[in-house]
Amino acid sequence: MSTNQQARQKKKYNWAPYVLILPSLVYLAVFFAWPMVRGLTLAVWNDEANLILQVEASQNSDEAGKLPQGTAVAILDQQGNEVPVDELDEGNLQTEIWYQITGLGTDGAPISGWVPEARIRVREENDAGTPTGGSVRTKLGSDADPLTTIYAAENEASEIVGQLEARTEVTIDGLTVLEVWYLVRGVDEDGTTVEGWSPSRYIQVFEEGTNGRVDRGNSGALTSEYVQKMVNDRFFWPALGTTLLLMVLIIPIQFILAIIMALVIQANLKGQGLFLYVFAIPLAASDLAVGIVWFSIFTTNGYLNTILQGLGIIDAPVTYLSAETRYWIIIAIVLAEVWRATSIVMVIVVSGLQAISSEVLEAAELFGAGLWQRLRHVILPLLKPSLQVALILRTILALQVFAVVVALSGGDIVTVLARETYRQYFDFRNLNVAASFAGFILLISMVSAVFYLRTIRTQEEVGA
Amino acid sequence: MTVTTQKTTQPAQASAEVKAIHRKMLRRRRLSKGFTYLVAILILLWIVVPIWFIGSMALTTPANVRAYPKGVLPFIEFSLETMRFFLSSEGIVPGIINSVTVAVITLVLSTIIAAPAGYAISRYIFKGRDTYRLSVLMVRAFPIVVLAIPLVVVFINFGIFDSIYSLALMHTALTLPTTILIIGSVFASVPYELEEAAKVFGCTPIQAFRQVVLPLVLPGIAAAAIFTFVMSWNEVFAASVLTIQNRTLPAQVFNTLSQSSQAYQFAGAFFMLIPSMIFIFFIRRYLFNMWGQVSK
Repeated sequence: MSTNQQARQKKKYNWAPYVLILPSLVYLAVFFAWPMVRGLTLAVWNDEANLILQVEASQNSDEAGKLPQGTAVAILDQQGNEVPVDELDEGNLQTEIWYQITGLGTDGAPISGWVPEARIRVREENDAGTPTGGSVRTKLGSDADPLTTIYAAENEASEIVGQLEARTEVTIDGLTVLEVWYLVRGVDEDGTTVEGWSPSRYIQVFEEGTNGRVDRGNSGALTSEYVQKMVNDRFFWPALGTTLLLMVLIIPIQFILAIIMALVIQANLKGQGLFLYVFAIPLAASDLAVGIVWFSIFTTNGYLNTILQGLGIIDAPVTYLSAETRYWIIIAIVLAEVWRATSIVMVIVVSGLQAISSEVLEAAELFGAGLWQRLRHVILPLLKPSLQVALILRTILALQVFAVVVALSGGDIVTVLARETYRQYFDFRNLNVAASFAGFILLISMVSAVFYLRTIRTQEEVGA
Repeated sequence: MTVTTQKTTQPAQASAEVKAIHRKMLRRRRLSKGFTYLVAILILLWIVVPIWFIGSMALTTPANVRAYPKGVLPFIEFSLETMRFFLSSEGIVPGIINSVTVAVITLVLSTIIAAPAGYAISRYIFKGRDTYRLSVLMVRAFPIVVLAIPLVVVFINFGIFDSIYSLALMHTALTLPTTILIIGSVFASVPYELEEAAKVFGCTPIQAFRQVVLPLVLPGIAAAAIFTFVMSWNEVFAASVLTIQNRTLPAQVFNTLSQSSQAYQFAGAFFMLIPSMIFIFFIRRYLFNMWGQVSK
């Protein structure tokens, strides 16, 4: 394509490419970038870190202060407040129901007003289950006021409109669900005493009803708690160590084998089609399946023992995949990963080789360069960009080894970072720590990619 | 090593010295050819033998699976009993149906979204093209593990957790970058001059695309789609994390791994390997086209 043509195209269609890439950009933004940002904040952000206390028992009132999650508090007072319907099914919510009733007072005049649920026995309900009628309960205890007080609004601080005798028939005209608010006092991180109102759902109340602790907060804060939990996890260091060890063992073997495979493919052998097909099969093989394949070889009644015993090298089957023979598990994982993931490197190397002109190789051969010399001085230097890409790709993929490890070790004897992410999520249900692990894997991936890009470029510059 | 023999025999009036060099080269080439065959066959065995082992285990009786020492087909009894046992195990048939459904949705979504983008990056020079290519590459290199956990949170919030459709959405996000780059290189392999020529002969741009470009790129796009299918079929981490009741085949096998018999595991592994063997056969021609460009 000449520059002229390019320029013309650019003028004519400059909006078209943007329209064409738009769907993919939108898709990746919605299902990749956004979840990624949201998810990774989980690792460093605690949604429930602080409880904001209010000056009055109302969401609209001013902030009285903050108490961190877990602070012990004294409960000084209680009050009911109307709750929005969509918050009714929240956990740890203490509610009170108030009925709006009408009944005949002691003087025969009807009294209408609000009364707490505890004072009314419901006797009639409509089809939807809403109470429509009932009677006033008898008060127990000899010193109690036998009359039940009726309020003007749904709280005990409101005006008293009258009193009803026990067992008075009433109609229930309406009801309100109130959430209990507590006036609490606690000491915050700075040592200052904070007093204020909070809805019951944030406070865990102890048995005596006058003490509690901040169960969860309603405002978030940055935290290193999850990262610390990850680092202090007993599997963290073994997982990191094994992951790095596997990388160091697998990648060099893979690259040597891949270059050999690529040279074989490029050698124009008879049956080249067959070789290419077979060499490429692992490219599409499931990692879990490959793990099981190598398990069938290394398991105690497996093929390796069969072969070794058949050759007379061992007398009885050896157990390879056990806690006492960790190194055998590592060897099995390395072989399985080399088997599975070398093909992709080979394909990248072959495409790199195809780009090297045959004249260059011919010239080298004509001047008497042997295979090794050609490899060392001609092929490898020209392959550098391809190898760089393959190296980055393989390193990042090596950090994700997962199913192969679980298939060969059960996932506990030998563990890797991806396995720990899964454990935190699946076994411990700890999304935040799982997100920390995921973020950590991402961090190593990026650091190693930058490292490769830098070192290989530096060499080129030095060479030039 | 790719030199053809015709070229080396060409210089007829060359000096004795050059002829000697040629003879030496020829001898060395014959020798190295033999060596290359040896290496090729060794690597072939390295790949084929494990598949042969697992195939032998999957296609024999459960008694042979438990036996020690182990035999290989055709020296042990051929039987579909182990395979039948695996396929009739709980969750396997639904798992296969789920896997295929997820992979097909992924393939369709991924190809529909990626085809225009691939066309754009191969046919147009536009501002931000390199940035776009680079960000797509970066997405491709992102660890699955890193994406799976965040998506769980988002899907739970949206109430579409534990559904094969949400899994397909995630697999599309995973495969999209690869598909875009592969389709881009497929379009790049069709010279723009062909399209230009069609226009010169009176085709509208859309006609030129449909009648000239499309027939040439369809096989390549089909190869890319098959590859997308295989990536989704194999994916186990996200599938295990995002689904609980509606597991795909790899997720089902993975989650029952510790409680399952060897017969079940071996038959499962072989069953999961079958698509890779079939699909690679069909797309082997396009492999270097696909990945060569992707890596650059």
